[in-house]
Amino acid sequence: MIEYLYTNAWGAFIVLLMFQIPFLIVFFHIVNKKAFIESKPGKTRPEKYSYYRYSWIALVLVAFVVVNSASIKYMPTVVEANSASDPNVKNVDVTASSWAFQFSEREFNVGETVRFKAKSTDTVHSFALHHPDGNLLFTLMLVPGAGTESAVVHTFTVPGEYTVRCLEYCGIAHHAMKNTFTVM
Amino acid sequence: MSAAINIIDKVPFFGGMFQIESNELNPVNTWPSLMAMTSFIWFAIAAILGVSMPAIQFMELGSNWYYQNITLHGAAMAFPFAFQLMVAMSLHRAGACLGKRADDIFVSLFYVFMNLGALLLTVAVLLGFHVTYTVMFPLPLVGASMGQWSMGTLVLGFSGIALVLTSMIFIYPIKILKMSFFEKTDDTLQVAERTLKDPGMIGMIMGVLVLLVTGTPLMIVAGSLLLHLYGIFPAAWIGWAAEPVVFEFVFYIFAHNLMEAMAIMIIGAVYATLPLCTADGSRKLYSDKIAILALWILLVTSVTSFFHHFFTMYPALPSTFAYHGNIMSYATGVGGALTIFTILATIWKHGIIPTPALFLILGGFVMYILDGASAIVISNVAWNFKLHGTMWAGGHAMVVLIAISALWMGMLYYHYPLMTNRTIDDSTARSSIKYLFISYIGLFYTFIAAGAAGMPRRNGAWESDWYIYGVFMIIFGVMLIYAFVLYFLSLTRSKSLDY
Ligand code: HEM
Ligand SMILES: [Cu+2]
Repeated sequence: MIEYLYTNAWGAFIVLLMFQIPFLIVFFHIVNKKAFIESKPGKTRPEKYSYYRYSWIALVLVAFVVVNSASIKYMPTVVEANSASDPNVKNVDVTASSWAFQFSEREFNVGETVRFKAKSTDTVHSFALHHPDGNLLFTLMLVPGAGTESAVVHTFTVPGEYTVRCLEYCGIAHHAMKNTFTVM
Repeated sequence: MSAAINIIDKVPFFGGMFQIESNELNPVNTWPSLMAMTSFIWFAIAAILGVSMPAIQFMELGSNWYYQNITLHGAAMAFPFAFQLMVAMSLHRAGACLGKRADDIFVSLFYVFMNLGALLLTVAVLLGFHVTYTVMFPLPLVGASMGQWSMGTLVLGFSGIALVLTSMIFIYPIKILKMSFFEKTDDTLQVAERTLKDPGMIGMIMGVLVLLVTGTPLMIVAGSLLLHLYGIFPAAWIGWAAEPVVFEFVFYIFAHNLMEAMAIMIIGAVYATLPLCTADGSRKLYSDKIAILALWILLVTSVTSFFHHFFTMYPALPSTFAYHGNIMSYATGVGGALTIFTILATIWKHGIIPTPALFLILGGFVMYILDGASAIVISNVAWNFKLHGTMWAGGHAMVVLIAISALWMGMLYYHYPLMTNRTIDDSTARSSIKYLFISYIGLFYTFIAAGAAGMPRRNGAWESDWYIYGVFMIIFGVMLIYAFVLYFLSLTRSKSLDY
């Protein structure tokens, strides 16, 4: 479950709803009550307000800390850094230019772990990899002259045809900047 | 009679929203009214362009139309619509609260620079300068060298952008600072007296300082490039500014903080206005101190959270900056949480009177918080790699502007009697708010869900899997336009307070 939340973009959607729905319920309840049902000052004692205030801020802090701490091991920055000295990771170079990609390799096997190092030669592009089911696995933003390549480490788990796209608008044929990887 | 009234009187339909008589409050009313009216004209054009985008995809009119319209739509909505509306209302408020004129040379210069600049940019885009409202530097130069557009349109487009940025980064902030600290008070104008200690005024001053401070480096970089394009600076002088990383960073430090400044300013305005709509007439917030603390938290945390625009450059963006940006983005959420508390505690403590103005303000606040949740989710490093560049990001940029605009439109309802000596048409206003809120929710979740499904933003050739999101964009887009038409009607149908 936790893995799904952080490895699939719909997981982000679920967490978003978990933030939003309680807020919506409380907000509409209070506004409805104080605008229509009894539109007059409440009799709540002042200590009660400070109790709610501290509880609310504590709740928010805990939620933020939990959501982010649980995400650390899934951060592509962390995954890439951890695999720095792993000899089993295959290095693949990606070069983006308007409007095509060049890869040092385009065919992979299930179970293979690949480090993609990508750069752009002209304007801002991205190197984004979409799963055969359409989900975005990752995107790397490629700013020319950034000093070093952008990098990500990915392990292929499902065979199929993966789509590579540029997700940073790069001119009148931006949408045509597309290619595929085959994973067997 | 003032020049502003003259122009308003001549404009069909839109002019009818601001039927202003000559009276002693003209110095704080006429120019803000003209700006608000002009911003709604930009909205009308841009909204049609918005609905046209999915339509272009369905009718397969071609990616060129898509890229043209997205550039025009994004630029018009962000600058001459949303930003100009904010300037209109904040000038009126600053004028009437501090007793300062809002009709001097700075105000008219702002108006001319903003609208002329937006017009020049529009012409350039129509001539082929399809760079989106974020410019995507070095795309303008690369595109010109590849023949995607001509050097002439590039110069025209950059000149337009320079005028718009000058109005936002220099003219407007300097005018607000002058009003707050230097100009002489005129008692007849000070109809809603406030001091600089008021959360509303503090929010406004923080906001303009952020624009001035984070915008100046961008003006220096972009100004150097422009002077080179005009042939004044030799190439050797501007190599540093043409460095893509240099431009992208100064651009996003400004663009990110622009959104935050607009948010801080409107939250300040909500803090100032909510107490005036309480049921017990106490005219008090639950706590001024906590309100001001929330503004400070938003201010200091937002400045460096801009790194979230660059997470996916890793390791070209060292990971330490990514983690810092992640943490600061969530810290802005703490400021947001304090704001939610102050607003709900005020409502609970004092009760509220459900006027359309207050309801639009509260509705806009809900929109702003819902959007804020989508912003902090995408600011987590793990999720950012899966959402950056998708419709989630595009949707967030769009709906934060809709939320902020809705809040200022609520402020306009609130100030309308003072600005025009007329009262809005209540029932039209209520249905406008209802449709505005529903269409907002519809557009918001359409974009967010499209992003979660992996649909790229700014893509001129949608694949069939994505069409369903386009259908919802059209449905809720048309509904949003309907809500705005009702909003305009609630003003044209206003009645004079003298009867
Ligand atoms: C009238 C209903 C509207 C519709 C149907 C609509 C539709 C769209 C569409 C289809 C996109 C392009 C998404 C993409 O391909 O990346 C877009 C982008 C955008 N919209 Fe809207 N929109 C509407 C209203 C608004 C409003 C009211 C605002 C602001 C106040 C706004 C601001 C923006 C911005 C800033 C962008 C981003 C442009 C970019 O990524 O370059 N839109 N909108
Ligand atoms: Cu590209």
